[in-house]
Amino acid sequence: MNRRRLLQTIAASPALLPAQQVNPSPDESAVLKADSPDAAGEPVRRFFSPAQFATLGALAERIAPSIGGRPGAKEAEAAAFLDFLLASSPRSRQGLYQRGLDSLDRAARARYQKGFAELGGAEADALLAPLKTKWTYTAPADPQAAFLRAAKADILRATANSRAAAEANAAGRRRATGLNPYWHVID
Amino acid sequence: MAKFDHDVVIIGSGASGGMAAYVLAQAGVKCLMLEAGPMVDFTRHRSLKAVYDLPFRGFGEPGRFPHITQASEFDANLWIDEKKNPYSHPENDPYYWVRIRLLGGKTLRWGRASWRLSDYEFKCKDHDGWGENWPISLADLAPFYDRVEPLIRVSGRNEGWAQMPDGKLLADESVDSLSIQRFNASARKLGVPTTKPRRATGTLASSVNLLLPVAQATGNLTIVPNAIVRELGVDPKTGLVNAVHYIDRRSRREYTVPAKVLLLGASTLESARLLLNSKSRQFPTGLANTSGVLGRYLFDQFYVKNTVTALVPEARGGKGPRNLMGGAGYVPRFTNLKPGKPEKNYLRGWAWDFGSGGTPSPDLFPQWGAELAQTMADVQGAGFAMTTMGESLPRYEHRITIHPTLRDDWGIPAPHIEQRYTENEHNMAKDAMETGVALCQGAGFEVLAAHAQMVPPGESIHELGTCRMGADPKKSVLNAYNQAHDVRNLFVLDGGAFPSGGVQNPTLTIMALTMRASEYLMEQKKQGKI
Ligand SMILES: Cc1cc2nc3c(=O)[nH]c(=O)nc-3n(C[C@H](O)[C@H](O)[C@H](O)COP(=O)(O)OP(=O)(O)OC[C@H]3O[C@@H](n4cnc5c(N)ncnc54)[C@H](O)[C@@H]3O)c2cc1C
Repeated sequence: MNRRRLLQTIAASPALLPAQQVNPSPDESAVLKADSPDAAGEPVRRFFSPAQFATLGALAERIAPSIGGRPGAKEAEAAAFLDFLLASSPRSRQGLYQRGLDSLDRAARARYQKGFAELGGAEADALLAPLKTKWTYTAPADPQAAFLRAAKADILRATANSRAAAEANAAGRRRATGLNPYWHVID
Repeated sequence: MAKFDHDVVIIGSGASGGMAAYVLAQAGVKCLMLEAGPMVDFTRHRSLKAVYDLPFRGFGEPGRFPHITQASEFDANLWIDEKKNPYSHPENDPYYWVRIRLLGGKTLRWGRASWRLSDYEFKCKDHDGWGENWPISLADLAPFYDRVEPLIRVSGRNEGWAQMPDGKLLADESVDSLSIQRFNASARKLGVPTTKPRRATGTLASSVNLLLPVAQATGNLTIVPNAIVRELGVDPKTGLVNAVHYIDRRSRREYTVPAKVLLLGASTLESARLLLNSKSRQFPTGLANTSGVLGRYLFDQFYVKNTVTALVPEARGGKGPRNLMGGAGYVPRFTNLKPGKPEKNYLRGWAWDFGSGGTPSPDLFPQWGAELAQTMADVQGAGFAMTTMGESLPRYEHRITIHPTLRDDWGIPAPHIEQRYTENEHNMAKDAMETGVALCQGAGFEVLAAHAQMVPPGESIHELGTCRMGADPKKSVLNAYNQAHDVRNLFVLDGGAFPSGGVQNPTLTIMALTMRASEYLMEQKKQGKI
């Protein structure tokens, strides 16, 4: 069990809650609380190679670090989520990520003789310079700049939309519930 | 043998179909409504969820909606299944066809912006010599606008401007935030008019809550969801529509129902597709197409989303007075209003929606990590953004045809759609961007980004034309009452009827035209002409 899950389990542990009286009816169904598959197990990596995944994890931490106790990409498991998302994304998107991560790692090895995942913060940031190009509506012509721009947006979103971020928001009462209307399949 | 003793068959239940049912059922006309999609149950089909609980964390299933950029993972099940309902477009000219196939149609999701057309649109050819006039003027439609606006409770502000006709509105007396006041003042200096938004109030204001319940309460409306109309039959002797062939969406069983009068409101492209798919000896190229223009003159309004994104400097870091940020406004068309030669390097004009108080996207800042987080905290709620909505010119070569081999999941021939923006639209978008930047700078805002890249045709969800109305049956499909020139018991009520569309969101006009056409139909029936 990972740390996150352990904390969740402790928080929800019946032993710590006042005992609730439940009188089951033999005729009526009851409303039970349930959690999503994502809350229980560790996700299985499907898409990136181990080296690419390590680079993505390091990149995600540079883009969205944990600041002031608020969860960053690491706590949000953004890289693992993106591995899952990319596995079913269009080919062009997959290629953009694979080439982008490989070339980031190659650049790190060429300049610092170590992989991107092993770089210090300033070293890594030097390789993210293409992110400093001014925003244009269409993706940048330079493939590495295009990759970094796409990855930045995805990492930030995967972090902001994570359970960890929602829990931090709820704790800080940033948003009342974080709930939105969801439409089920209509048939 | 018909199982219902209906007077009219209405196809589609959105803005046009819903309004036809509303008018006719209340007048005692027995209506049978065939709707391709299922019925939505707001209690059963909707519940609250957290974004992290969605399978794709709010990114949506990759590839599910190649053309519907508006779909989110929360509402994905409301939009049409693009795989089951395919269409094609030229490889280099994408067309984004945005559809909802449910009872209520696109009114389940519409933004409710509601502007009247003016005689700049109805009499556009008289004004600048381009295109065709409508066979009606504002004076003909005004009495119907007068009735539709209170029905859908449009709020806004009357300004007495010719290009933005006054309406029967719920007066919007709200005080503008200081940032909006500053923008308005900057606009005034450059002679650019600004006003309040005009939109139907309430969060839904749809056919399913404002129109269909009233119609059904009369006992004169039978609604049949899950009925996908495939083809219309024609009486070989009279040339009138006499039958509707439809397929049960779920069982795929085929049915036929007789029709004395047919009211078509399946939305612009679906209505044209159905007519083109309804070939007969009398109408070998599609029903009501002796003019040859059925499917042609497809157009919409082009959108440049966030053409200018700016910051209100005083709002940075959450500083500034409480009434600094927030609110929205609208700029109606203001270019080329003088008759004769256009003052610009394009014909016609554009409008803007603008809003204050959003947070600009992190994409716009060339930063990451702690620096970006700091910036995002600083600019939270300090944004100001403008979206351009420009007139696109209806052109003969922009059209929907039937694809020779492509079929939908029910075996119905699918459409091929061709529309592209031309120099006129591109010149306009560029002018709109440059003017927008000047207005923001004049207001003391910090411009973060500006662009003139319009979204692909179709994405504005204001598709119009294909069954244009006109005075000359050789050049148009419908007459001034949305009635087919060739087939007097056939009416096309949706945006297909528009010969031009200006910059105004079209649904208010679709509803007003439908109300007028429905009352004309009753008059014609009374006189025994139908
Ligand atoms: C997100 C969004 C925002 C919008 N915002 C605005 C706005 O602010 N202002 C504005 O003016 N407009 C807006 N619109 C556009 C507006 O919704 C449409 O103009 C309006 O709904 C068109 O009405 P309609 O009756 O032509 O088509 P629809 O409302 O789409 O209804 C057509 C119906 O016909 C049914 N149908 C289609 N084919 C068949 C068939 N073969 N057999 C049987 N039934 C069929 C469909 O299922 C559908 O229910 C918006 C739309 C969307 C989606």
